[in-house]
Amino acid sequence: MKKIININFQGRVIPIEESAYDILKYYIESLRKYFAGEEGRDEIINDIESRIAELFSDRLKRTSTCITDEDVNSVIAGIGRPEDLQEAEGSHTIPGTAATPSEADQAQYQHASQKSRRLYRSQNDKILGGVSAGLANFFGIDPSIMRLLFVLMLFMGFVGFFVYIVLWIVVPAKMLTSNVRKRLYRNPDNRMIGGVSGGIGAYLNIDAWIPRIIFLLPFIMAVFVNIFRNAWIMDFDRGPDFIFSGFGGTLFIIYIVLWIVLPEAVTATEKLEMRGEKVDLESIKKTVREDLESIKAKTDKFGGEVKERAQHFGQEIKQAGQSFTSQAAPIVRSSRSGLGHAIGVLFKAFFLFIAGIIVFALLMALAALLFSGVGAFPFKDFVLQGFWQNLLAWSTFLLFIGIPIVALLTWLIRRVIGVKSRNHYLGYTFGSLWIVGLVSAVILAGLVGGNFRSKTSVREEVPLTQPANGKLLVKVMDAKVRNYGGDWFGFDGDLPFFSQNEDSLTMNTVQVKLVKSDDSLYHIHAVKFSNGNSPAVAERLANRINFNVSQTDSFLYLPKGFIITQSEKFRNQQVMVIVEVPVGKRVEVDRNVDQYEWFSINMNRRRAWNSDWDERWNNSYYYNTDKEYVMTPGGLEETGKRPEAGRNGRFKLKIDEDGIEAEGDINPDESPEYRYDRNKRINRDTVIIFRKDSLSAPPIKKETSFQVKPGIEDTFSDSPTALYTLLKLFI
Amino acid sequence: MNIENTQSQMRKGILEFCILSIIRRGEAYPSDIVEEMKAANLNILEGTLYPLLTRLKNAEMLNYRWVESNSGPPRKYFLLTEKGESFYKELEETWNELANAVNTLAGKKDLHPSEDSQPSKETI
Repeated sequence: MKKIININFQGRVIPIEESAYDILKYYIESLRKYFAGEEGRDEIINDIESRIAELFSDRLKRTSTCITDEDVNSVIAGIGRPEDLQEAEGSHTIPGTAATPSEADQAQYQHASQKSRRLYRSQNDKILGGVSAGLANFFGIDPSIMRLLFVLMLFMGFVGFFVYIVLWIVVPAKMLTSNVRKRLYRNPDNRMIGGVSGGIGAYLNIDAWIPRIIFLLPFIMAVFVNIFRNAWIMDFDRGPDFIFSGFGGTLFIIYIVLWIVLPEAVTATEKLEMRGEKVDLESIKKTVREDLESIKAKTDKFGGEVKERAQHFGQEIKQAGQSFTSQAAPIVRSSRSGLGHAIGVLFKAFFLFIAGIIVFALLMALAALLFSGVGAFPFKDFVLQGFWQNLLAWSTFLLFIGIPIVALLTWLIRRVIGVKSRNHYLGYTFGSLWIVGLVSAVILAGLVGGNFRSKTSVREEVPLTQPANGKLLVKVMDAKVRNYGGDWFGFDGDLPFFSQNEDSLTMNTVQVKLVKSDDSLYHIHAVKFSNGNSPAVAERLANRINFNVSQTDSFLYLPKGFIITQSEKFRNQQVMVIVEVPVGKRVEVDRNVDQYEWFSINMNRRRAWNSDWDERWNNSYYYNTDKEYVMTPGGLEETGKRPEAGRNGRFKLKIDEDGIEAEGDINPDESPEYRYDRNKRINRDTVIIFRKDSLSAPPIKKETSFQVKPGIEDTFSDSPTALYTLLKLFI
Repeated sequence: MNIENTQSQMRKGILEFCILSIIRRGEAYPSDIVEEMKAANLNILEGTLYPLLTRLKNAEMLNYRWVESNSGPPRKYFLLTEKGESFYKELEETWNELANAVNTLAGKKDLHPSEDSQPSKETI
């Protein structure tokens, strides 16, 4: 009883016994090795395969339903095994390597395994001009090493580039076969990205994860360094650093260069060369058999369900067929090396780079969440209420945020080590745990949100002695109490609270608003806000806010903040200090009021602001700290401000029924305004302006004259002193 | 001196000439070439023929075209180029000279037939 597989062989579907397929595969592989030095190797193999396929389909048409071992053997006998061909062609191990028959004889006597006496460019193994492979052949070393040397020279300067170009022009091209036993390849059977690490591992005879870890090291380092340094700030600008800078950048570039320079070990011969094993027909057979067995092993591993088996059986055939046809295709060589490959790799590297940044950012974001969760841990008792909320918080924290990190790291490590388990239990476990976390997060958000559902305010009038000098200065009292400062376990002072001890928080969510007073008195109100799961609770919490304002003459002292305890919980408590300033009176807010933080959690706008809020307080005025303002009917006005017209040496002249009004930067010691009495007559049609230097001259020297119509305001650019003189004349 | 080796050397020398002479008569499919040579008592493996054809094609002695077949994918038929034609002419000339020479020499000395192989090797 034999298993029959269907293969797509040179465009024909051939049902073939599995053992016969193995024989065929060894045979093709041996031919490939035999013709390795031939220029038209791929074409020859292709032609022979076509012929075999034709013979097979003849055979299928005539007699049998599938190709058996005997069929394959008789076909092979007709075409000839490498040994037969060797006999038929004479004693030479490798057939002619020259392009034309006239050269063939000469070339046939030259053993390809010897070093070439002359320097040639390789015609069959090249990325650009085959210079590297030629040089390597000449010196008897791995072409990849030569290529790396050239790339290195390119980085150090353009000498390498010119050497290459000169060699490309001067040295003749020739078909060359490799003369080293061990070559550095990329390993397609053990690859995560480009197979570079797998190839290095195979070359050095070590596990592939060792070079892999080394290449990944900068990435891993960057992740850890960033977690510990920047987790709070979520500073993702630093992302690309790990690729572009220093050690990491070098390794990244080395990887890309290796990816471009190293060929992929596709055929059994190349795979043997990769491990430095002797290449002969026996070892090739062994390698091919191992290849097939590994595919079989993969298939056999999941026994059990028939369906699954069938599925993977199909996969095996697909895989086997793919590798077979890919080896048979004549284009295989050109797709593996050359400029196209280099460009392809660069594109892949670009996408790899982007993907790296995305994974990096993802890890960073999750880690930041996790660590800020740890950082917020002492704060949780101020938010959460009762056992269930705490439980949900833990579940959210560990499952919703922790699981993706663990999953991502697990995935990365397994990729690196190359563990390929078909076991989905881990995935299912992670998935369901994460969903538990997600549900916890949603419920927790709902519960905590419920605690913030209602918002209410309580208003408290602060008794005030009217300041004698008509000015009120608002200041934050210098606290004698020592605080831990704004940093709460590493928070960068971003949060609106200080800690005093484990059980209490000092909140500084305070805002000072300046509004216009209805009467001629200053009034101070402290409006306290709080959220809660019901208006009653919110009001109770608001009432418990202790915000003591004190006054010393014209100084109004505000406390640094207010204290909430663990029993009160944090429910977005805030205090708004309303300062009502009467018209004509002055007010100044000290710079240290800027220390207050203000933020607002608006769970539901409709239910907020439901009590104790005076509508006219909505008309508050914008102010800067450390600036004196005076309240006018139109709002706050900064005092001591220079009039507009005085700037840049310009002054304003206004002539109307009242007389002449002039504004300008005339003399800092004098008042900037001049007004001419309406009862004194002046010639309103003509204004004569004198320059300063003409003062000593006869009193009236006509310098410039303007026709200024009454009722017109105009701005002139002239010496202010001239205006001064003018006004002196009239007054 | 290995007799088989010498024989194969001799055959090898004329192989290209034979193949070209078959293709010269009209475009040919490789397996037909094998059949024809077999019929002429000159056995050749297909595995030997394909590389030869490819080499000749790369040297522009031969060309090929795809001919549709009624059973499967199109087949490669080989035909002679002008360069191949003149190459063939030269080979033919050499062959006639050689055949003459060998026949003359071999006809003269009947006693040592194995000496035939000596001059033929030089012609390769």
